[in-house]
Amino acid sequence: MPAAEVLTARTRPRPRTAAGHGTKARVQGLLLAVPAVLLVAFVVVGGSAMVAAQSLGLMPLVGRPELSTAAYTAHGGDLLVGVGLSLAIAGASTVLACLIGFAAALIMMQGRWCGKLVAAMSSLSIPVPHIVGAATAGLLLADSGLLARVFGAAERWPDVVGGQWWLAVIFEYAWKESAFVGLVVAGTLATRSVDYEETAALLGAGRLGRLRHVLLPLSLPALIISGTIAFIYSFGSYEVAWLLGRPYPEPLPVMALRLYNSVTLTARPEAAAVAVVTAVVSLGAALVALACLRKIPLWR
Amino acid sequence: MRQGLDLQGLSKSFKGSPVPALEEFSLSLAPGSCTAVLGPSGSGKSTLLRTVAGLEIPDRGSVLLDGQDLAAVRPERRGMAMVFQRPLLFPHLNVLDNVAFAATIRGVPRRRARADAEAFLDLVQMEGTGKRVVSDLSGGQQQRVAIARGLAARPEVLLLDEPFSALDPELRSAMHELLAQVREKLNPTILMVTHDRDEAAAVADHLAVISEGKLLQHSTVQEMYTRPASLQVSRLMGGTNEIPGTVRDGVHYSALGAHALPGNHQWPEGPATMVIRQERIILLDEHSPGLPAVVTGIRNRGPRKLVTMEAAGVNLHAEATASPALATGDAVRIQLPTPELAVVGGTSEHRSAPLTSPDWKVLA
Repeated sequence: MPAAEVLTARTRPRPRTAAGHGTKARVQGLLLAVPAVLLVAFVVVGGSAMVAAQSLGLMPLVGRPELSTAAYTAHGGDLLVGVGLSLAIAGASTVLACLIGFAAALIMMQGRWCGKLVAAMSSLSIPVPHIVGAATAGLLLADSGLLARVFGAAERWPDVVGGQWWLAVIFEYAWKESAFVGLVVAGTLATRSVDYEETAALLGAGRLGRLRHVLLPLSLPALIISGTIAFIYSFGSYEVAWLLGRPYPEPLPVMALRLYNSVTLTARPEAAAVAVVTAVVSLGAALVALACLRKIPLWR
Repeated sequence: MRQGLDLQGLSKSFKGSPVPALEEFSLSLAPGSCTAVLGPSGSGKSTLLRTVAGLEIPDRGSVLLDGQDLAAVRPERRGMAMVFQRPLLFPHLNVLDNVAFAATIRGVPRRRARADAEAFLDLVQMEGTGKRVVSDLSGGQQQRVAIARGLAARPEVLLLDEPFSALDPELRSAMHELLAQVREKLNPTILMVTHDRDEAAAVADHLAVISEGKLLQHSTVQEMYTRPASLQVSRLMGGTNEIPGTVRDGVHYSALGAHALPGNHQWPEGPATMVIRQERIILLDEHSPGLPAVVTGIRNRGPRKLVTMEAAGVNLHAEATASPALATGDAVRIQLPTPELAVVGGTSEHRSAPLTSPDWKVLA
């Protein structure tokens, strides 16, 4: 068969049977996931619906149910400030986590002793709870903490903990989430980065060229996914901001928990309103991430 | 001035491996030539290519391109491109941008880089596929694009690491044809490794046989088949006939009698093994002139048959066409044409069965 005919034969659309097999496999995969999805959906959708109902006055502790947005406007200004603050903390820590995590993944991919060390450190930091990380960061970074004492700079030590810029909170999230991002990206690159890097090198790409034109695009889906998970976690996490942050203004999760634990039981719908706003912003972040992923050829 | 690629005494060992991957490997490639390095799996072929490309650093020896030692030159600056067994097209780029990759890296404006890439896609008969996602292409198409991408980098040396081994025979033939066209148009120096001697013979004008990291022979394709430097080379090239004997005054004496050797070569005196390709032995009926032999086995090889015979206590193998019909036990006559004979120093153990060979095909 001449070359042209061979090519034509190879470019023909896949036969119906192959497509049928693909659909069948997809349906089988979905069916396997159904029990877990149903259980999770019951908890998440049910919980979210209850919180939304409570925030809208449909499940009052006392009195008759009445549709109202009062819970959303009760702390109007604080709620908006809380959204901005939470977005800033989660955004800054996620950017840092992605940068550090990507760098860590690249070091891990080198396969040398330092790569193994970074991989081991990342693996070790993943199981450490955030509350332990926050306490450690406090003991390390506070003006009475270890570093300030080591450097003998208690007077001049910046307000890292409880300061205006929420640095300790951002550092703690960045430290924990960078390990997560690093391991996810390293896992993606592990199977193919070396081959593609070598190919790019032989096509004339130097180290920076390979980073920009090969490694970064290959890592992008994993970076977006792990970054989104890190962002949503940081956005909704309570304990680190509560331990290392300022008492006021409050990030959304801190505000939600304070209102929920308030002696004024009527504040519960307000806590629910804060939780709903947190969930909506998180959902928005996930949708933005999905939209970004759809634009990436590698993901398609 | 182009002087080609010169490999001088390359040695390379890997930690944990008792055998060196390369040992004192020297080879010279003329500019524009195509040399296939042939050897069994694990013989050091890929290590050789990676060392030439700069992806491995040799323990000893040097790689010279046009007289310049490349020891301190990074892979991206060596002026070489490599096509691997897997096409390794960048999945985040479409076909056109894959081919335009080298130009993009060099800072060529995107429009010009793409126009240039189009020309190379045309060269590999992939015109019109530029906007396609690489995963939509078949294996053969992807390998074509990989070759176009390598060529678009304008390498002085194109390195091919078993690039067609994953393709089916039909596509492989098409790729061989493509490579011939590329050579005709661009004339790059090509160093290719393969374990398939038929492929090597189809695309290269020189062969280098490697085993356990050592170069056994470097010669033209024809010479490699008809004048093997050793029994190992003969066997690696698929030769199955080894007739132990002695050479005196250009004549090989063995159980098969005296056979004059080709006069255009200096043959070693003393104990030597005569070799002849199985496809060069002439099989005749029992009434014809020639050495008497008895057929001891017949195996079908597609349109041909591999006939095993015994002649004067020596096992021989010959390839025959389907006719005349032969059967085990038939008496036949054989002729060993002088121009097809060769001897290598030393003797071999007499073989009683045909050598197993992964790619039995007729060269002729």
